[in-house]
Amino acid sequence: MSILYDEGQQAIATESRRAIEARISKDDLLPLLQTTGKYHEAFWTTAKEQGWTALALPEAYGGLALGLVELGLIAHQAGRTLSGAPFLTSSFGAAKAIELYGSDAQKERWLPGLASGEAIGTIAFASGPDALPAQPTATWAADRLNVHANGVSGGLFADVAIVFASTGDKPALVIADLSGVARTAVDSFDNSRCIADLVFSGTPAELVATGDDARTAALHVLALQAVVTAHEQTGGAEALMEIARDYAITRKAFGQPIGAFQSIKHRIAELYGFVELARANAIHAAASEGSSDFITAAAAARLSATEAYDTAARDCVQIHGGIGVTWEIGLHLHMRRARSLALEQGSSFFWEDILVDRLAGDVA
Amino acid sequence: MSDLEAYRTNASAWCESMVAAFGKAARKGLTVEEDLALGRRYQKAKFDAGYAGINWPTEYGGQGLGHIEKITFEAEEMKHGFPNVYFGISLGMPVPVLMQFGADKEFVKERVVKALKGEEIWCQLFSEPSGGTDLAGLRTRAETDGNGWKINGQKVWTSWAQYSDYGVIVVRTDPTVAKHKGLTYFWVDMKAPGVTVRPIKLAGGDSHVNEVFFDDVKISDDHRMSPVGGGFSVALATLMIERYVATDSAGFGPHLDLFVDLAKDLKLNGRPAIEDGRIRQQIARNYAMRAGLDSINRRARLMMQAGMTPGPEGSLNKLVAVRSRQKLSELALDLQGTDAFLFDEHASPKDDWASSWINAPTGRIAGGSDETLLNTIAERILGLPQDHRPDKGIPFNQIPV
Repeated sequence: MSILYDEGQQAIATESRRAIEARISKDDLLPLLQTTGKYHEAFWTTAKEQGWTALALPEAYGGLALGLVELGLIAHQAGRTLSGAPFLTSSFGAAKAIELYGSDAQKERWLPGLASGEAIGTIAFASGPDALPAQPTATWAADRLNVHANGVSGGLFADVAIVFASTGDKPALVIADLSGVARTAVDSFDNSRCIADLVFSGTPAELVATGDDARTAALHVLALQAVVTAHEQTGGAEALMEIARDYAITRKAFGQPIGAFQSIKHRIAELYGFVELARANAIHAAASEGSSDFITAAAAARLSATEAYDTAARDCVQIHGGIGVTWEIGLHLHMRRARSLALEQGSSFFWEDILVDRLAGDVA
Repeated sequence: MSDLEAYRTNASAWCESMVAAFGKAARKGLTVEEDLALGRRYQKAKFDAGYAGINWPTEYGGQGLGHIEKITFEAEEMKHGFPNVYFGISLGMPVPVLMQFGADKEFVKERVVKALKGEEIWCQLFSEPSGGTDLAGLRTRAETDGNGWKINGQKVWTSWAQYSDYGVIVVRTDPTVAKHKGLTYFWVDMKAPGVTVRPIKLAGGDSHVNEVFFDDVKISDDHRMSPVGGGFSVALATLMIERYVATDSAGFGPHLDLFVDLAKDLKLNGRPAIEDGRIRQQIARNYAMRAGLDSINRRARLMMQAGMTPGPEGSLNKLVAVRSRQKLSELALDLQGTDAFLFDEHASPKDDWASSWINAPTGRIAGGSDETLLNTIAERILGLPQDHRPDKGIPFNQIPV
């Protein structure tokens, strides 16, 4: 897959930007911060109507058979505008796990719903700071799953979860129907992520993979999600860079635009560098799906995107001065999102280790 | 195989075949003069093989191919450490600008072919003691002298001037108008009476840059390459010629693999350094940064192949890569502890950490300082306002010193 977008891909970028910008604004998003258990309905409806939920899934199950490059373009636009729900990434991860590693019956059962958006999926691999624990605390035996899975993004509304568990002394990847699972909303700093603590207590769950295969599969799914998220982070960082630039051109102090001061203009030029590196790595990673260096490319994309979005959030607020820290201007929406996206699918620590293990030749 | 891939394969094979005669081993222990002589033979070999002036017109001895072939060859050539550094400026800026603006076509052609063969070297006389970034503030002056001109003043940081046969120069011909309107562009014979070249020894020990003094240097008007007072735009054109060169995400320092090898070989607190979180983080961050630059460069090549103009993000390479090379080199010395003290002044910055470290500041200043590059990104790409410029629009001779 080329790292140059073709005309069709450019059209996806333009159309998705138009659709999202028409349906979502910061005035919709601000109130969501102060409630739990709500996401931005119009965003998710748009995602379903536009076929974004189906985009990267196989045609046999109602998908559009496009790939990570196209989904990345949508995620970039969603990142620019601040997506109103986490399901585009969480459902994609669950669906890819089922598509790549599940049985035909499991695909029949879940993929059509995930493709249409009628069903919502999520991933529960992490245990605190461990994105992919050496010893998963979740246990699976005799088709039953037991674990308190905490901080699951999208978990509050998900119908199905892919869980990283232990079976005996081996890791296992399992699919669990969440209809009978107790869930508590986490009151977080970014509430539209619909984060929940899930209690699996003898919950029926089907095995997808065990042993090293389970770990490899789980890492691959995380990497797929990480590439989508990297695009979303890059979009957010790009939007903040433009907001900072526009403010620096219009805001005046000491008789001139503040953007004429090098302390301001250089900060914004540095943001340009972060954004372009993140964009280049994200495109490369998306185009590398299926190649042997996909995990390495995904890790690099994830690291530079997290750095770009966090830095842009920090600096954009700083450039605004006092107005930047007000509730109303909403820059904190990006600050919050930069952090929630940094924590989902493994923090920078996790991806640094994944990357260095490969560069040092410890992992083929 | 695409045409370009075939071109790359041939270029790669040719470069491999040159390693014995011109590679790092062949250059080891040579004096600068001996290395330059070897470099001239290498440049001639390039010319004979059709790898000199790859994207220059055939009428001037070039190959008439595109930018993409040129940077494809350069990417292969860069792997081997050939003695081509003496011709980088010469063929990069002054000679192309001579082709574009030189009036006497026969003279130009003769010069270009000799430069392509490595027989003659050109330098670029822009920076002055009073300023490098502020090019239009230069003070070297040319006054009319009969039918020609007489140059007085001083240039500085002129790469390879001590080996140059000719140079292109921007001088002030009218101090009574705004600073960038009073400049004129000429070529000069570096062997002419009144030209004095004095090498400057740099922090790392080498002396490739020079001070160049002009004392009543007389040139005829046919040396003029711009309208009188129109030199600034030709100077800008000179700086724009080399927009697309093969770039190096290692910032012309060591490859990251060498750092990983070092971290695997050495121990910190009794454990391999590669297991230390601080080292791992630096490796990961540097990899991500370099991978991003590589992807930007690859996309630029694909766009050129498709007949499109690459985006402005290519301008990030030097800024990002050299700065991080400097820090990584410091860290590599830290890793080695007291074993890092041993210093070889002649080692290559591309595979020696101490050499990379001590020469890194030059890379962050030459060819546009970090700060200048940030200003360019801010103003040209992002549309931010220019800095406050108190000398704007004021006649040069009325600017407060």
